[in-house]
Amino acid sequence: MVNKSLLSILTLLAVVLLVAACAGLQSNSTRLAKHPTAAELETMPKNCLDCHERGEALHYERYVHTADFGKSHRPEATQGEAICAMCHQTSFCNDCHATRVELKPSLKNQSDTYRSMPHRGDYLSRHRIDGRVDPTSCFRCHGNPKSAKGCASCHG
Amino acid sequence: MRSFVLCHGLCFAFVLILLLSPVCSLGADIQVNSDTILRLFERDTSTDEDALVLPGYQYLQIDAGQLEDYGLSFHLYGWGRADFADNDYYEDQTAGELLYGYLEYRLEANSLNAKLGRFQVFEGVANDAVDGLYLGSALGDYFDVSLYGGQPGALDSEQGRSGDSIFGGRLAHHLGMHYEVGVSYKSIENDNKTAEEMLGVDMSVFLPANLSLYGFSKYNKETEGWAEHSYELRIPVGNVLFKPYYQHFSYEDYFATGANAVNPFSFLAQFDEEMTAYGLDALWRLDEAWTLGGKAKLFDYDQQDKAQMYSVLLGWQGDNLTQYGVEIGHTAADDTAGNDYTLVRLYGYCDAMAGQFWLDFVSADLLLTFYDEDIYGEDSSFFVSLGTGKRFLDDALSITLSGDYSQDPYFDDDLRGMLTMSYAYDK
Repeated sequence: MVNKSLLSILTLLAVVLLVAACAGLQSNSTRLAKHPTAAELETMPKNCLDCHERGEALHYERYVHTADFGKSHRPEATQGEAICAMCHQTSFCNDCHATRVELKPSLKNQSDTYRSMPHRGDYLSRHRIDGRVDPTSCFRCHGNPKSAKGCASCHG
Repeated sequence: MRSFVLCHGLCFAFVLILLLSPVCSLGADIQVNSDTILRLFERDTSTDEDALVLPGYQYLQIDAGQLEDYGLSFHLYGWGRADFADNDYYEDQTAGELLYGYLEYRLEANSLNAKLGRFQVFEGVANDAVDGLYLGSALGDYFDVSLYGGQPGALDSEQGRSGDSIFGGRLAHHLGMHYEVGVSYKSIENDNKTAEEMLGVDMSVFLPANLSLYGFSKYNKETEGWAEHSYELRIPVGNVLFKPYYQHFSYEDYFATGANAVNPFSFLAQFDEEMTAYGLDALWRLDEAWTLGGKAKLFDYDQQDKAQMYSVLLGWQGDNLTQYGVEIGHTAADDTAGNDYTLVRLYGYCDAMAGQFWLDFVSADLLLTFYDEDIYGEDSSFFVSLGTGKRFLDDALSITLSGDYSQDPYFDDDLRGMLTMSYAYDK
């Protein structure tokens, strides 16, 4: 049997040629590889619209880190990963979204109370209720064999 | 098997560092971030009551190459844990995971992005770790494409890696500032058996008056049913942002992930339950510092009775990372989960204190939870955490000491301590 992962990699390599062929379709949109840091700006930016005009070249208002952005960034992350990557490395996302982490995010970053981390405090008790109300929200971070290891001691 | 994979991952990373060292010597950047965490708490084990548990964690991140600009770079991030008390609290005395380790090439033309190694994909239906190859590129002004393939990082502990594969991608069409529509696909095989095969459609539509609509639908090709529909409208009115939304989930299609399924989700996949949620979030930026928010969400089920969640938030944001806030929430789920609870949270983080005090920051978190029905004879939880830290060497080194105390249905009197030393090297 042909190894399917090898086949998929070969398919991807073939796609490289396709992408190279499409290089003729040059995009006119360019952006910086990295957003200037707070140190370079000499201030901690709070709102994208403080510097960028609404509708300039990107819908900057989407990326304003409002008080509930930690709980509502899914549309931005699934459609604009490259924008997120201008400021955040994947390790930042991996506090919550990772193959397997042992320390829950609110514990690893216990002092960062300004970050909207899930599972703060006695979540062991609250998850009995939240998990029954909306188990889909658990599944996004605990839905595979490695990330569900913490669930296995009680849930099998 | 885990040690084998971790060992090979680290060897792979080491070889890549060696390969990149000539690049780095040509003036490229090197960044190393290290977090060393030592925790201290007590737990009952199979042999002792209130046994001391003393785990130490090491998180290590290495980035090298063209980090601030387009070009070639290498990225690695992982963690390891050792149990210094060496009792049977943990299943294994040591544990660890290579979360990512890849070579990346970024080209400004067409925003080309290529990754080789272990990386995380967050696109469309994908939220997975992949050991393989990723390619992303703009195709002209109106299309973007991304493709990935290899072995799934989450399945290496399930009877080895033979026969495991993952591949997928996303094709997006966008028209200037007006809309973006994407279609995505993901297929995972575990031991040559289909674990997941998902199709997704995502969209952003930008309407007049700064209104915008976001949507995501996911189709499970294995069960031949729609797993999820999530749609959200954003309506700015002055300084207030309203977000009404609609979500629908079919448990049979959402949780049925074949050989990849784990409990308790594989159990839920056996039920023909469907959940529909309607919600409204409102966020009012009163001024540069103050924010007032409110959320309401109604859950409606095919087989269970309704549930509701409500919450309000008042926050104040100062200079740097300084923030203070209060959140109050209520979950009414008596008919769904056999209980209701009210949560009150007060939090604070005071940053950049140097100059006034020796310490650089202090933080505090207080959570009170009141349960309508007792859980293990308790009708409330009390949790408090306090932290403080100091930065040295031009902020390259920081030492944080934190602790928390909890009285709740699971723990009568639980005190835990944590010491974190973070070091950032940037050259």
